Amino acid sequence: MTGANLPNEIGTVVVGGGVLGMCIAGFLAEEGRDVAVLDSGGPAGSNANAGSLHVQMQSRFMRMYPEQVPALESALHFYPKAVAFWHEMERKLGADFGMKITGGLMIAEDHDQLAFLTYKAGRERALGLDAHILDRVELERIAPYLGPSVVGAELCANEGKLNPLQANAALRNWAVAGGALIVDDATVSEVRRDASGFRIQAGDRRIRAGTVVLAAGAGSRPIAAALGLPLSIEAEPLHVNITEPVAPFIHHMIQHADRPITLKQFASGHVVIGGGWPAHRAGPRDHPTVELSSLIGNATLAQHIAPAVGQLSIIRTWAGINTTTDGKGILGPVDGIPGLFVAIPGDAGYTLGPFSARLVADSVLGRTPSEDIASFTPSRFGGGR
Amino acid sequence: MTVQSVPPATQQSTAPDLVPVDLDGVVLHARRGESLAACLAGAGVVALRTTRTGAERGMFCGMGVCQDCLVEVDGRANMRACMVKVDRPLRVRREAFGRPPPTAMIGAAPKTVDDMPVLRPDVLVVGGGPAGLAAALAARRAGADVLLLDERSALGGQYFKQPAVSSGVRVDGQHETGRRLVEAVREAGVTVRSNALVWGAFTPLEFAADIEGSTARLCPRAAIIATGAYERAWAVPGWTLPGVMTTGAAQTLWRTAGRLPGKRVLIAGNGPLNLQLATELLAGGATVVAVVESASAPSPAGIGDILRLTMAAPGLAAEGLRMVAACRRAGVPMIHESHVAAIEQGEDGLLARIGGRHGQVLEADIVCLGYGFVPSNDLLRAIGVPHAPAAGGYHLETMRDESGATDIAGLFSVGDCTRIAGARVAQAEGALAGFAAARHLGLALSADARTEEARARSASNRHHRFQRALWSLYRPTIQAPPSDSGTILCRCEEVTLGDVEAAFAEGLVAAGAIKRRTRLGMGRCQGRYCAPALEALLDTRQPRVHDEYSGFAPRVPVKPIRIADLARPMDAP
Repeated sequence: MTGANLPNEIGTVVVGGGVLGMCIAGFLAEEGRDVAVLDSGGPAGSNANAGSLHVQMQSRFMRMYPEQVPALESALHFYPKAVAFWHEMERKLGADFGMKITGGLMIAEDHDQLAFLTYKAGRERALGLDAHILDRVELERIAPYLGPSVVGAELCANEGKLNPLQANAALRNWAVAGGALIVDDATVSEVRRDASGFRIQAGDRRIRAGTVVLAAGAGSRPIAAALGLPLSIEAEPLHVNITEPVAPFIHHMIQHADRPITLKQFASGHVVIGGGWPAHRAGPRDHPTVELSSLIGNATLAQHIAPAVGQLSIIRTWAGINTTTDGKGILGPVDGIPGLFVAIPGDAGYTLGPFSARLVADSVLGRTPSEDIASFTPSRFGGGR
Repeated sequence: MTVQSVPPATQQSTAPDLVPVDLDGVVLHARRGESLAACLAGAGVVALRTTRTGAERGMFCGMGVCQDCLVEVDGRANMRACMVKVDRPLRVRREAFGRPPPTAMIGAAPKTVDDMPVLRPDVLVVGGGPAGLAAALAARRAGADVLLLDERSALGGQYFKQPAVSSGVRVDGQHETGRRLVEAVREAGVTVRSNALVWGAFTPLEFAADIEGSTARLCPRAAIIATGAYERAWAVPGWTLPGVMTTGAAQTLWRTAGRLPGKRVLIAGNGPLNLQLATELLAGGATVVAVVESASAPSPAGIGDILRLTMAAPGLAAEGLRMVAACRRAGVPMIHESHVAAIEQGEDGLLARIGGRHGQVLEADIVCLGYGFVPSNDLLRAIGVPHAPAAGGYHLETMRDESGATDIAGLFSVGDCTRIAGARVAQAEGALAGFAAARHLGLALSADARTEEARARSASNRHHRFQRALWSLYRPTIQAPPSDSGTILCRCEEVTLGDVEAAFAEGLVAAGAIKRRTRLGMGRCQGRYCAPALEALLDTRQPRVHDEYSGFAPRVPVKPIRIADLARPMDAP
């Protein structure tokens, strides 16, 4: 059920209808809990996602936030499990997410970059990933579309891609079929505690709930702050390009050791080019808006890496909102505020989405999550009561 | 499909104004300068490509908007036949969905925005139709340095449609007026770049353009957007069949290249453009099967409108009468209060089922649909100019003052891209905005310029009066096309009404969510045809706010842009 039939009181309110919120609602509904998802309906993270399933450490984050590498490494084992969990969800729902685990290549254009990848792959292997280095000759066998400047690459076999349009729709329908309420045009302005739980203000609607899960990415921050819970997260508007469809020729997800890019081809034939080029928010509604410098820089870098891409036309660009954390997810119950949970997955949040949702849903259900999430606590940024 | 028998290519050289076009191994004769679409239409070739589902498609809009006439030209995939000028021998292949990309490409260094040359004219005018030409001329006469960019290979736009071939076009007054305006623009010293697509608009006042396959940035002191309009979708079963095209597309074939779209032509829609096409095709020797008009036949009750219209523009009123008379003389049935309800492929042609007052089935080779226009406001929306829903329509109109000034400093918007009001209003508005842009630059207007400005203001008022009376006469008796669940709403992604209804059944209510769910509006044309149709559907579902945010968000590039072109800086001017 969706939309208008929202009761005044409900067991659990999930704030944010992205991949996290939708999965948590589905998991709770499966257990017979009454749950509503309130979503602002605007362009955000999951609904603007480009469908990369990341496993290896992204060089972009290692460059931007070198101090976060230890945190990244401590959560690295989540990533292959998260990709496997996506598979499990696809099977469980009997849906087609357009998912392909064809491996991810992080390319190097000189020997310093290759040395960096060699070191990185070694660390990742030690942490359980299937990662190794390919030289130019080996690369040409599996990725003949790469340009002449590429000298080698790290291949991480656990990586892949899916089509977020298909996945999001299937997850939503599953949650609705399970009995979750989805309200699409409900921007939560405030969550307040009261004697029996929480009062949630969403537009002119007011709902009481015993449990609240904040799963609105960077949009969770002001809501949490008003509850006395500081969250160290930032909204990062990012740029995505998509080309006209052609016959499949790029099978891997491609990244670069030293430049921001993800490049992959959907099963639909469209090539999606993104990977961390900036966008900004503009207009009276703070709409994520693309920048010319990102469009030119990102698309021409794609042509440089895979020259055949140059013959394709970009048919559309868009911008979405990534949520950056301190390098790892913010997951689980909030100390001192019974009934309040946070579900913000951290870097490559879409990849981590369903898996992180399972962990948070389990803690909402009073079960022991399959992973120890103590170090992911939302209370780690201070603000204890 | 039939392909005219043609002499072998070796005989071409004797006729200097004929150019060989090799279509999948069959050589056709193009008239030098005509569009590839015109050449193919002349040879009776209507099906140009197949879609993902294997359906055939041909030229629909004829003006570079719908992205349906895609063919491979000299090895380059997905070229719009209607926008390719035949000025040299071409090798053309029919296009298929999702073909492999070309291989063995050479890598190129990545580029940054700073690699692209920045042009800084006083005034940038985007669009070379009546509004853009008048705007460029006015701003230039007032002393500004003016750059005019136009996507087509020849100036004039969709109203003045200038002849592209040296002979074979019957030049009339409309052509001549356009030619004189174009000449005046050139003589005044406006810098003109044709084949220049402005595909992006960015704050505060920056534009990105593909100019003959290379990239330039434009940072003008003032910009006048005059990108015109395109034809509204009439999404009935069969409207995607090859041979079904817009009235404007058929008219472009005739007025630019002297080509008939086919032998037997059915023209249906709302408004006088359909009548004009009928008289033109009759003069060219076509059989006009009928003109199907959704408005009522003029009656004594409409006498007030006729008087108002005649007083506002007596020349146009007389022209209208002449067109009606020409159709009568030729025995063309004028079927009022009726519309095309469905089209299917028959044995010997297209079968159009006519709905409304005079239901019947008509057979034709070509069906032209002319059901009104939608503004091409994509650049204006991309840069963030406020828009509001058009009264009684499902498109947006640009908010601006009477000089065309928007709420972005230095940005003006004129003509049909702002609000549909026809070529004469557009031309008058263009002049007003050209002078206003000059004032914005601090230029003082001469007495002559001020007189010209006053004349434009009164012309704008007069032609607005004409338009009001005209559309009161032509008030349609049907608003939305009759669709069934199998009817394609989104031509590009082949999304049907049934697909959209299924998304409604899942509880989706926002246009963006329906786009992501169904892929409606995600294709090459950027939702230009299906977006208004979706807005109309959403309105029938539940009360809701219909505003500039309720539809699809604007996206750049506003038309597809090749990455190799994006990576090629334009030679510094």
